[in-house]
Amino acid sequence: MRYILQRIGQLVMVLFAVTVITFASVNVLGDPLTNILGPLASIDCADVNAGLKPDSSTRGGTSEGDCAVVERTRAEFNLDSALPVRYARWVGDISTGDFGTSFQNQLPVSTVIKNKLPVTLRLVGVGLFFSIVLSIPWALLSAYRANRPFDNVSTVVSFGLLAIPNFAMGVILLYFFAVRWQFFPTRYDPDGIYNQLKSLFLPGLTLALPLAATYQRLLRTDLITTLQEDFVHMARAKGMPPRSIMTRHALRPSMFSVLTVFGINTGALLGGTLVIERIFSIPGVGTEIVTAIVRDDTPVVLGIVVIIVTGFVLINLLVDLLYSVLDPRVRRG
Amino acid sequence: MGDDNFPNVEVAMEDVLDPTPDDAVKRKLGVGFWIAIGWLALITLLAILAPILPIDGQNVTGAGGRLDGPSMSHLFGTDANGRDVFARTIWGARVSLSVGFIAIVAGMGIGGPLGIISGYFRGKIDAVISFVFVSLLSFPSLVLALLIVNSLDRSLKVVAMVLGILAIAPIGRLARANTIVFAEREFVQAARVIGAKDVRIMVRELLPNVLIPMGALALLGVAVAIVAEGGLAFLGLSVKEGATWGKMILAGSDARTLRTGTHVAMAPIGVMFLTVLALNYAGDRVRSYFDVRETAF
Repeated sequence: MRYILQRIGQLVMVLFAVTVITFASVNVLGDPLTNILGPLASIDCADVNAGLKPDSSTRGGTSEGDCAVVERTRAEFNLDSALPVRYARWVGDISTGDFGTSFQNQLPVSTVIKNKLPVTLRLVGVGLFFSIVLSIPWALLSAYRANRPFDNVSTVVSFGLLAIPNFAMGVILLYFFAVRWQFFPTRYDPDGIYNQLKSLFLPGLTLALPLAATYQRLLRTDLITTLQEDFVHMARAKGMPPRSIMTRHALRPSMFSVLTVFGINTGALLGGTLVIERIFSIPGVGTEIVTAIVRDDTPVVLGIVVIIVTGFVLINLLVDLLYSVLDPRVRRG
Repeated sequence: MGDDNFPNVEVAMEDVLDPTPDDAVKRKLGVGFWIAIGWLALITLLAILAPILPIDGQNVTGAGGRLDGPSMSHLFGTDANGRDVFARTIWGARVSLSVGFIAIVAGMGIGGPLGIISGYFRGKIDAVISFVFVSLLSFPSLVLALLIVNSLDRSLKVVAMVLGILAIAPIGRLARANTIVFAEREFVQAARVIGAKDVRIMVRELLPNVLIPMGALALLGVAVAIVAEGGLAFLGLSVKEGATWGKMILAGSDARTLRTGTHVAMAPIGVMFLTVLALNYAGDRVRSYFDVRETAF
């Protein structure tokens, strides 16, 4: 119990640090007012009030003066207060589920996230599915005949897979399966679940291949160690077929290190789909945050960072807890 | 799967009967390592010599037709603007390799000392520094890079610095872990007993030992930084001036260019792949060459 509390405390601290850094960097390095109002933000109200400059906002039907617009916007987005105060207010808002309003299209950030997050989650899901489905049989086969031709070839293959940058892998898959043979669409198709999954096949595979290589390496090493254990020899001696030994006896006790890395990678995946979403034109949070950063849309950037980082730390916490359930020694460590 | 022999017993028996060949292999860097180093040396040399090599300038257009396939006069063909892809790949190596190299030097320069201090003093200093590392690692790295590059500018210096910041935490954690192990060793305690100052112990006793694993990680880190530059390029925020591998791959990766001029993307992908592979392999070899635990195992 103490361990869990400790971990949750650490989680909150990390969230605090990350949001402070993001909040400070987006607010100090760019002026939010300019990002909302454009050139209007730099207007000199003293000049307007003295009648030296024309008041342009009265055109277009609004009777509000330029300065009034600036004042209203300042108040609306809390831009008048000091940075720590604004941070505190922002945290207060978030705890009630209010992520603020996008500077760009005035939509609530929570709506933006609600629209984009499911796509990214689906992409990550497809990627995880492929990585597991590929790596486990692959590791079983190569560990079963360790240091034989199949294992040696698969070592080379996994080394190669890890050396291909994910965007290069995306481009290669896109070229062969979408452009040349046209099995899959080159753009995301949101029509119906079938088309969605079909559009997510290649990006999911792009995510999965380097992961599968990593998991295969880890699982293979642990499997080879497990296969030296007495209970495996026992199972062999009583005439159990190798297939059952591998899947029933050897696999489960060999899963520990792969599980840890799986957790870390899964958390990182949420923030790691940016490039892949771009290549395959997928409208997820990755694409959204890149656009938001370039346009200095601070509330959207902050909202998505909070979601991604919370996901990351929560998944890591979950894996840690799962780990201590599987192996009681960890709890005391 | 054949039922007749279950292989691992056999492997184990071989190890028991004749343990020397395996160990001997592990104590050599091997041919592959030198091939990898050779490739890296070649790329680096070409990148440095780019201005005096008999190749087109990086922005010379009309060197050939548009999207011409590879030929004798244009080894990697030409791109959509009629620029020679081979020449641009070499020019791109200048930026990509500098970014990777500067980033890792910066990461080691900051992360290394922090890690050693944290692992040597432990206690509160360790808690604070470790917390900084954890926070940095929890941040989605590309998002952090995007935030900084977007709000500063897209010069080589800024991009390299940003990737250097990302390298601090992994390098620092490795340095810390190794420092903790070495700080318990006799030679460090001996130094402490004869009254050596903390700074001297850290610089003269710990640093040389921590540098070796850091060096292996640095090779891997250069690869990661080169790839990260490519990722930034795909998000439109890589180095502004001149060709980089990432920008070249991006330029060749839309569906139309892929269909009519596959080489535009595939040539830089190939070169980047070989470079990353070489860095990964060399780093891996260096690590297992020096890693005492692994050889003992």
